Amino acid sequence: MGEMLKTLTRRSFAAGRVRNLIAVLAITLTAVLFTSITTIGIGTEESMTLTMQMQKGSKSDGDFRNMTAKQFEMLKEADFIELAGLRMPVNFLSNTNRHNIEFDVLDDVQAELTFCSPTHGKAPVAYNEIVASEQALRELGALPEVGAEVTIEFTAHNREYRLPMVVSGWYESTSDQLSMMWAGIAFRDAHPDIFQFTYDQDRDMAGTYCSDIIAVTASGLSKKMEQEAIHMGGNPHDMEAENYIAATVNFVTNMPLEPEIAVMAALLALLFVFCCYLLIYNVFDIAVMQEIRRYGLYRTIGMSKRQVRKLINRQAVWLSGIGIPIGLFIGFFIGRAALPVIMASLSEEYANVAADVSPSPVIFLGAALLTAITVFLSTRKPVRVAANISPIEAFRYVENSSGKRRERKSSLGADISRLALSNLGRNKRRTVFIIISLTLCVVLLNCVGTAAGSLDIEKQVAFKIRTDFAVTSAASMNGMKGFVHREDALDEQVIGTVSAQPGVKDGSPIYKNTVEDTDVTYEWEHLVLDEGIVDKDSGLNIRFDENYMYFGTGDDRRPICNVYGMEESVVARMDLREGETDAHALYEKMAQGKGVMVGVDVNRVDMSINADLDMADVGEIITVYKDGKPERELPVLAKAAVNGDDQEIGITCNGPLEVGGNGLYLYLPTNIYKELYEEPVIYKYAFNVEESQRENVTAFLEDYVNNVNPEVNYLSSQTAREDAEKTRKTINFVGGLVGMIFGFAGVLNLINTMVTTILIRRHEFATMQSIGMTRKQLTRMMIFESVYYALGASFLGVVSAALLGVTIIRNMLGSMWQYTFHFTLAPAVCVSVILLIVSAVVPVAALWLFHKGSIVEQLRVAE
Amino acid sequence: MENILKAAGLKKYYGKGDTMVKALDGVDLEIERGKFTAIIGTSGSGKSTLLNMLGGLDTPTEGSVKIGGTELATLNNEQATIFRRKQIGFIFQNYNLVPVLTVWENIVFPISLDGQKPDKKFIMKVAGMLGLEEKLDSLPNNLSGGQQQRVAIARALASKPSIILADEPTGNLDSKTSDDVIGLLKMTSQEFHQTIVMITHNPEIAQMADRIIRIEDGRIAT
Ligand SMILES: Nc1ncnc2c1ncn2[C@@H]1O[C@H](COP(=O)(O)OP(=O)(O)O)[C@@H](O)[C@H]1O
Ligand SMILES: [Mg+2]
Repeated sequence: MGEMLKTLTRRSFAAGRVRNLIAVLAITLTAVLFTSITTIGIGTEESMTLTMQMQKGSKSDGDFRNMTAKQFEMLKEADFIELAGLRMPVNFLSNTNRHNIEFDVLDDVQAELTFCSPTHGKAPVAYNEIVASEQALRELGALPEVGAEVTIEFTAHNREYRLPMVVSGWYESTSDQLSMMWAGIAFRDAHPDIFQFTYDQDRDMAGTYCSDIIAVTASGLSKKMEQEAIHMGGNPHDMEAENYIAATVNFVTNMPLEPEIAVMAALLALLFVFCCYLLIYNVFDIAVMQEIRRYGLYRTIGMSKRQVRKLINRQAVWLSGIGIPIGLFIGFFIGRAALPVIMASLSEEYANVAADVSPSPVIFLGAALLTAITVFLSTRKPVRVAANISPIEAFRYVENSSGKRRERKSSLGADISRLALSNLGRNKRRTVFIIISLTLCVVLLNCVGTAAGSLDIEKQVAFKIRTDFAVTSAASMNGMKGFVHREDALDEQVIGTVSAQPGVKDGSPIYKNTVEDTDVTYEWEHLVLDEGIVDKDSGLNIRFDENYMYFGTGDDRRPICNVYGMEESVVARMDLREGETDAHALYEKMAQGKGVMVGVDVNRVDMSINADLDMADVGEIITVYKDGKPERELPVLAKAAVNGDDQEIGITCNGPLEVGGNGLYLYLPTNIYKELYEEPVIYKYAFNVEESQRENVTAFLEDYVNNVNPEVNYLSSQTAREDAEKTRKTINFVGGLVGMIFGFAGVLNLINTMVTTILIRRHEFATMQSIGMTRKQLTRMMIFESVYYALGASFLGVVSAALLGVTIIRNMLGSMWQYTFHFTLAPAVCVSVILLIVSAVVPVAALWLFHKGSIVEQLRVAE
Repeated sequence: MENILKAAGLKKYYGKGDTMVKALDGVDLEIERGKFTAIIGTSGSGKSTLLNMLGGLDTPTEGSVKIGGTELATLNNEQATIFRRKQIGFIFQNYNLVPVLTVWENIVFPISLDGQKPDKKFIMKVAGMLGLEEKLDSLPNNLSGGQQQRVAIARALASKPSIILADEPTGNLDSKTSDDVIGLLKMTSQEFHQTIVMITHNPEIAQMADRIIRIEDGRIAT
């Protein structure tokens, strides 16, 4: 019987060509969907991890430092380690100015793990060969060429070295500030004096063994590494211990999954499974229904229910066997093509993004598994129906669920559109499924359209920058650093160069205090601070108030605040909310020393003043202390709502948080600021540019910051706008892709139904034609049937899109400051129109393809 | 009497070469208006093929069919369909009702397709003669085979066609029911002066006909 079943499966398979084609298409589509989505998902994750690894400088799972040669040998033997690199630090080179170069001895594994394998040339072999980054070679006055000669200078064990080296290979560094130059093991063997292990006595890194490792598995890694450090006779806990060994996990590589992202991903996956369920269910439902007589026959001649089930299951397996691999293949390429677009929009937060994805088995296994599960789920009901059909019923089986009603009010005539409508009722479940899958497409695309349309680009631009351009030091623009120290100041010379450009106008330098300006402090009412702690990086004493707001404090332990010195034009651009709101009058008064303007951070969503940070009211007196003595009293004249540009630049405000913390934002005229601060420094030069000159200025700045003065960076309203546009592009792209896939699934569903209807009702159609229905009328009836699906879906789609729009989407977008909700149904209506057109075309094509031959032939075929 | 139906040199070949089937191989036939003609013959002899040619459901390989002076070959597909629904009523062995339409709707369907208003009085009369008054709002699935075939007959009569072509209309019915159905068919056709051409396997039914034509291997046997 097993053999027989196989033969039967094979023959039935061959018999239903069109049906199988559609089934394979449906399964392929499902696999494409899952693969492209997992590819995009994993690719994004991988690319972000890689980007962060590049920033951190290592893609290892963790690293050990300060080991002796013996300990390193033990480490290599540890069974939880798959790969262990070798790094023997020497020192930073001393003959450099702007680009810092670390000089180490590495092996190839270590070089690979820390992104410094040569992309040109070879790894160093001879004792005098080195590999370095392009930037490093240029810093040393050499060209990035194999065979180039450089001289390196460094100190090790208190001895200065000056060695001529030859470049055996080089690579492009991802950092402008720092890169690695490395020599091979031969260098170590040639210079035993450099590599004496003295770390336990004098903490000199030269001579220690370090190793970046790849673990067999990431689970429990930190514990294992700690134990290993202890096992080799080190102390991983006490930094002061003689035998201190650093053993740390690379958290960039092994980032924990955020729960919100996991939930979102699960929901999305569920939605996809559902959509594909609708599609595959229909395919198999139709297939079984078409064959129902045959299953009835099998049952009469003694096939058991189990055998019928097996027969259909086997067909499903065969079809999946064809559809899934094709889908995986296509899906991977779609996903990979989509990845750079998505990563580009993330690049604002992650500079130097690397966008790539490897065809990892996780993607394919995951997608294949999801597809298989979907196929399994969606075939359950059709299989059950086929297995449970009684032979007699099978022969009488005419698809007509309305047959349960014995009677129905007859209409006067039998008009074609009504007939079409009754035909929909033949299989309610299928009708509902098709309509739902088409509706999903309408709703989804409308949500995407609403999100893209609600993206408030001008708001983002206005928040990031109030002028056409602003130039700051590179640190200020770096989201991880910010303007903190005097050395981050913008050189007056830069301002001179920039302001000399044609078209530059309204330029004004803006001064700001730094962590070094601890002599000037402020005091105001209701301020109660605790003892505080010392911040290791800035050296400031950080004190908290009763609301856990923190304040960077100065020499006299009063808050140093974030204090700006600016010109009237800058004040005029700000958003004055309370007190004196006339910028000119305000500036006059302030310039005469009659008061100060305070700024308060806003809630970005509605741009209202953040009440938690609103600490000083208009009219309140702020006392300025210098060297611990009250210097002057400044009443608050006005209150402004401050944005990213007023605080620092763009959306970064790391600088102010490092300096004044949550302390007041105080804005003073330049003259007063200069009176208060001994060493006033400029952090930003903001300016507008004549429209006609903007391109030139952009080109000038682009060249200037890249080639002339990398210590400087700039932001323009144009680049801010482009960054925001990238988000819109991503939304459109990803949303459009997903919506299209849903739409495609819906249309495939529709095509399947139409084709099946034509094949299955061949006999009925032939009858109608024999009693006088013209082909035109038949076509019209089928168009009506098909269009009813689309009409139903459009109606439901537009209504649900509207409902979703004013509820969930509005709330979701409303909670993100980058968006200003705009209600729209245009995408839904557009999609509906397209669906209606497609739905009108499908039956025409299907009839043309599948309803051929004379009436007699069709009557015969059906019998 | 005038000949309403005229076929000359009718040939219908299916397939090519070795597998070619000569379903009809030169049939000449004339049928008088108002007469009841029975076609008999063994299975596969070409009866259905002949009937389909006569009704214009299929086109002959060779030869011509003329109905009431109209040469069917001169009509295109669309015209043939429209001609058919005005002039000819078909009755099939397996009823061929539209499952989603009620009995009434099935009966008036060809008329609606023609964009005409059904002659309600006439159709009620036909329904009455066929005993269908009670069933007009039922759906076909809920009727017995005999009832379904009576609906098919009513449908064939509804547009008052001049010719009724029936292909084994009683093939799926028991003998009592088939007698009833044929009786009704004969009665209504006489009432409305219609011409009937019917294929049957049943000798008793053939005996009721005005004329019997026997088909053997695609030719008329005499
Ligand atoms: N569409 C067709 N294609 C091929 N052969 C056909 C077709 N229709 C009928 N035949 C063949 O023509 C012959 C006559 O068929 P038919 O007219 O249906 O016979 P009857 O109705 O007398 O039983 C048979 O051998 C049949 O197999
Ligand atoms: Mg026959």
